Amino acid sequence: MTERNSTDVNLDELLKRAFAADLPVDVAAGMRERIGRFRETKTGGEAAARGRAAVWEWLFRRSVWAAISILLLAAGILFQGRGSSTPLAERISAIKTQYASLDTTRR
Amino acid sequence: MTESAKTSAKGRAVIRWLFAAAFIFAVAASGLFTGLMNAAGLFYLVFGSIAAALMGFTGREIATAFRQAAGGTTEMESLGKSAYFWEAAARNAWILGGLGSALNFIIALSRESSGIADVSSRMIHSLIIMLYGLVLAVVCLIPEMKLAGLADKTRSRWEARPASEAEGGPRLAGGAIAADRIIGYVLFAAVLGLTVVFLIRGQPRSGSLPIGKLLLHWPAYLVVLGGSIALALFVGVGPGARAWTLGFAMTGLISLLMGLIQALFGFVHRNVGEIASAVAFIISASSLTLLGLVSVASPLEDREVMDGRREGPGPLSRFFWVLLPLLTFIFLILTFIMVVTPMKQVR
Repeated sequence: MTERNSTDVNLDELLKRAFAADLPVDVAAGMRERIGRFRETKTGGEAAARGRAAVWEWLFRRSVWAAISILLLAAGILFQGRGSSTPLAERISAIKTQYASLDTTRR
Repeated sequence: MTESAKTSAKGRAVIRWLFAAAFIFAVAASGLFTGLMNAAGLFYLVFGSIAAALMGFTGREIATAFRQAAGGTTEMESLGKSAYFWEAAARNAWILGGLGSALNFIIALSRESSGIADVSSRMIHSLIIMLYGLVLAVVCLIPEMKLAGLADKTRSRWEARPASEAEGGPRLAGGAIAADRIIGYVLFAAVLGLTVVFLIRGQPRSGSLPIGKLLLHWPAYLVVLGGSIALALFVGVGPGARAWTLGFAMTGLISLLMGLIQALFGFVHRNVGEIASAVAFIISASSLTLLGLVSVASPLEDREVMDGRREGPGPLSRFFWVLLPLLTFIFLILTFIMVVTPMKQVR
């Protein structure tokens, strides 16, 4: 056995003696928690950035805008077709009724 | 060219501009005596045209166009672009005339009236802005025709030069263009706002409803916005800004036709509410279409031409720029007839 090998064996023995038993439960739990937090910040930050980029990409997709525009168009046609009233339409309606009553009065 | 010949050319140009100014003044002043005066409309058209020019052109390009129209410069390379500026100014005046009439028409309808004659008079009065737009467009077409003729004469010489020289040297920085355009858009918004305020001031109140609510017939806005975006996306990036002109114009045409058909059905069903809804749809859709053309599609096409990305606007774009304001005018008259036609409602 060389001199270096004997040093390694000594160090190995020392480590075995120092860590003879498992880590105390509270220390192990604390370490697990810290490692978990560390992992979360590393992988979670990247995931959030990826998520944000995906949202922007999705927003600028032509298909999304095409769908939105078609929905707007269809909604506009449906509302107009159902004769939904707006203040302007009501005002025009009032004027038209005024004209009709004027015509009736003349007769 | 000798010095005396240059002075004589400048003198002739000044006289021509004086004649043009006198022509505009005569048209405006004659309105004072014939009931054809619309001060708010005149303000809107003049300042709106300035704002619309700034939305599509840089200050430098506008100054060059004015200099060349006055005959005060010999920069033959930019003659074609200056001619295009005047064509765009004429187009803007024409479209703004239609837009102004439509907005004034909405305001006339939305105000309380002291009688049928009063509201009818206000509706007819709103059409005067279209007349102003036409006059201004004719005035702007004069320098356009002159410069386009000169540009045609010198084209062969211009095309023989290297591309960089023929396009008028290096382009302006993007920042400068953006600043001009931002000023143009802010000015345009201010002019629109002030015009509405001036128009409202001269007319009776419309009850408790704010003017914003009365101006917004949202089904028309949904149709025009949705349709324009959908068509522009469908056409794709190839045609560039022309896609927006096509989008707004086609959606506007479809909306006008839809409104007319619905109004005619209203007459058949003797349903005042249906007719009123259709009339509101027609006026609102035409307003938003013209607004989209003058503030989105046209400035984008102008930049494409001025940056040298295109030779000129597309023939379809030119066709729609002329057609849409004219159709708006015709439909405003039709809506006027529809509103004043007496009809017994079926309950």
